[in-house]
Amino acid sequence: MKRNLNKLAAAALAAVLSAAACPFLAASAEEHYDVYNYDRWNEAIPSQAGYLADRSVSGEALGVGDFSSPSDIFRDADDCFYLTDTGNNRLVLMDSALTQATVLEEFTLPDGSITTLRKPEGVYVSPETQLIYIADTGNSRVIVCDGEGNVTLTITKPESELFDSELTFLPKRVLADKAGNVYVVLGNITTGAAMFGKDGEFKGFYGANTVEQTSEVIANYFWKLLATDAMRARTARTVPTGITSFDLDDEGFIYTCTQSTSQKTDTVKKLNPAGKNLFTSLETTWGDYESLYDVNTSQSYQSMLCDIEIGDDGSINCLDLTAGRIFQYDKEGNLLFIFGSTSDQLGGFSQVAAIESIGSTIYVVDAQKNYITVFEETDFGNIVHEATDLYNAGYYAEALEPWYKVLQYDGNYRRAFIGISAALLVEGDYEGSMKYARLAESSYRYNRAFEGWRTEFISANIDQFTFAAVVLAAAGVGLHFWLKKRKRSKGKEGETS
Amino acid sequence: MMDLTNRQWLKYAVMHPFEGFEDMRWKKAGSIRYSIVIVLLWFVAAVFYNRLYGFQFYASPDKLFNVIPYIVRTIVLFLTWVVGNWAVCTLLEGEGTMRNIFIYSAYALVPYVASLFIGVLLSHVLIRDEAVFIDTVYILGLGWSAVLVFSAIRAVHQYSFLKTIGAIILTIAAMLIMLFLLVLLLSLLQQVYVFVYSIYTELAYRVKV
Repeated sequence: MKRNLNKLAAAALAAVLSAAACPFLAASAEEHYDVYNYDRWNEAIPSQAGYLADRSVSGEALGVGDFSSPSDIFRDADDCFYLTDTGNNRLVLMDSALTQATVLEEFTLPDGSITTLRKPEGVYVSPETQLIYIADTGNSRVIVCDGEGNVTLTITKPESELFDSELTFLPKRVLADKAGNVYVVLGNITTGAAMFGKDGEFKGFYGANTVEQTSEVIANYFWKLLATDAMRARTARTVPTGITSFDLDDEGFIYTCTQSTSQKTDTVKKLNPAGKNLFTSLETTWGDYESLYDVNTSQSYQSMLCDIEIGDDGSINCLDLTAGRIFQYDKEGNLLFIFGSTSDQLGGFSQVAAIESIGSTIYVVDAQKNYITVFEETDFGNIVHEATDLYNAGYYAEALEPWYKVLQYDGNYRRAFIGISAALLVEGDYEGSMKYARLAESSYRYNRAFEGWRTEFISANIDQFTFAAVVLAAAGVGLHFWLKKRKRSKGKEGETS
Repeated sequence: MMDLTNRQWLKYAVMHPFEGFEDMRWKKAGSIRYSIVIVLLWFVAAVFYNRLYGFQFYASPDKLFNVIPYIVRTIVLFLTWVVGNWAVCTLLEGEGTMRNIFIYSAYALVPYVASLFIGVLLSHVLIRDEAVFIDTVYILGLGWSAVLVFSAIRAVHQYSFLKTIGAIILTIAAMLIMLFLLVLLLSLLQQVYVFVYSIYTELAYRVKV
């Protein structure tokens, strides 16, 4: 009876506490969609919002007239924004607060003639030379110019054996590394980004995706072994999906993303200067784990990452075209937050096109709504970032306090349990570390903590262990002799009888 | 000679892989009750192996546990083996009865089941670097049981070496056929159920209207 009363009291207390906790949950209640994250078993669970949509900025508000299907946005070293306003054939320059804008429409070629853009889809500004690189898609060229529009270099279709001369030159995104090499994502090429030297000479391709080894690919390979040459010529070649977008981080690594419904490998890659993918050993699934199923159309939708952006702190922001979501990962590829949706409200999108960030603020361009949505970090997001940065830098003990705070906001946040487990392990609190490893369901972390706990336990009880071993050995020897004796006396009895 | 209790016979059969089952057959020993206990212990061990394994080695998804696959993997598998072997070996002039096949096969499983339990115990004391000890125990148990199963089939049917191998291969084929038929039967039963149910709904609707 008493136990029942206790239970009742506990239940009542829990109800009061959860009611009191409601104000803390308000952060996610502000969003019009369910904020979620993934647990250890890759199941979606409710979570707190790391970012909230703060406002949206249209071209009209900036005084330059509405944007028309803008496709790319870039922030330069001085925190100014460059937007390719594709439908209006212009480049819009904005300040960091998105209050003032200027338009760059006309460009002066080296010979003095004036040229304009046609459906530009990509822009990049070099932090070293301040030169603007524009993927002028409709004109099949990449132009490099200064802030006033004086063109210093034009890159057109390369005349090279490596480049199929029948293909149109369709630059979609453009980048330039510190050495001045220009990388161009082409819309109809699957062999990676075209790479050009400082003076515009074609150098080859960079960072091609690999073909995913599905059962179909392997079966095709087998049939091709048996086929005649004529049959082989008719079969479709197995080609990987071409990369969709890329970004450069502070250390000079290029991150690519690939928008594909079928391909699951190589959706996000981190490439070193040699073009080698450094993310091959990661087990991260980029985007949603399971495809969405729409009952109305009986179709399932898979995440399609259409743009990637590396934040100032190294976090990787991926933009999912299918669900209008932004997936933010830390630099080790661990999922931090998922936010955004497809809807008409603020924070929802019709057709996301590009993503950019300054510090903790994220800017997303919508090509159909024709405006830029600004996301601000929440308190929760701030603490998670603080803890993650400390953790990834190796300051496990310093990250302990922030991780505890993260758990106050979201008791399901798995990385917090891992972080606390790691911190307690460093501090030598093995039992605590084991407890949090269990909560994180990380058997790897538990193993580390258990090893320490076991060593400590044995050395603390070494006397008892030795004593027990001696007693056991003595008992064993005694038993052995006793059994022998009994057997012998039994045998004697048998002989006499 | 060889007047052993049931427990002593079990120990004798397990410890003497080559003549143990022959002697058992000679003395008509072996307990069906012990055999049932062994098979049930196998099932328990299989469940333990998933649920009670040391967390430092394996984090099992709590939300997804389902006991049916474990029953199929142990008890049903064993029964199919016994029935399949009996069916095949009756045709191949084997001398074993269904009861004897059941008993001998179950006795032969003892080292494997024991290795499962020992593995679960060890997994709580060892760390990942020392996993080789668990693996060794497991491989020893499995190998020992394999030898015992071979020896059991050989003894129970009084076969030669080669004929035993042939019988075991045929038994595995028979097991596959049985499982296939079982699945077929289940799906057919389900269809019959759906058919009857739809007739019932139709009639119920007519009665109402």
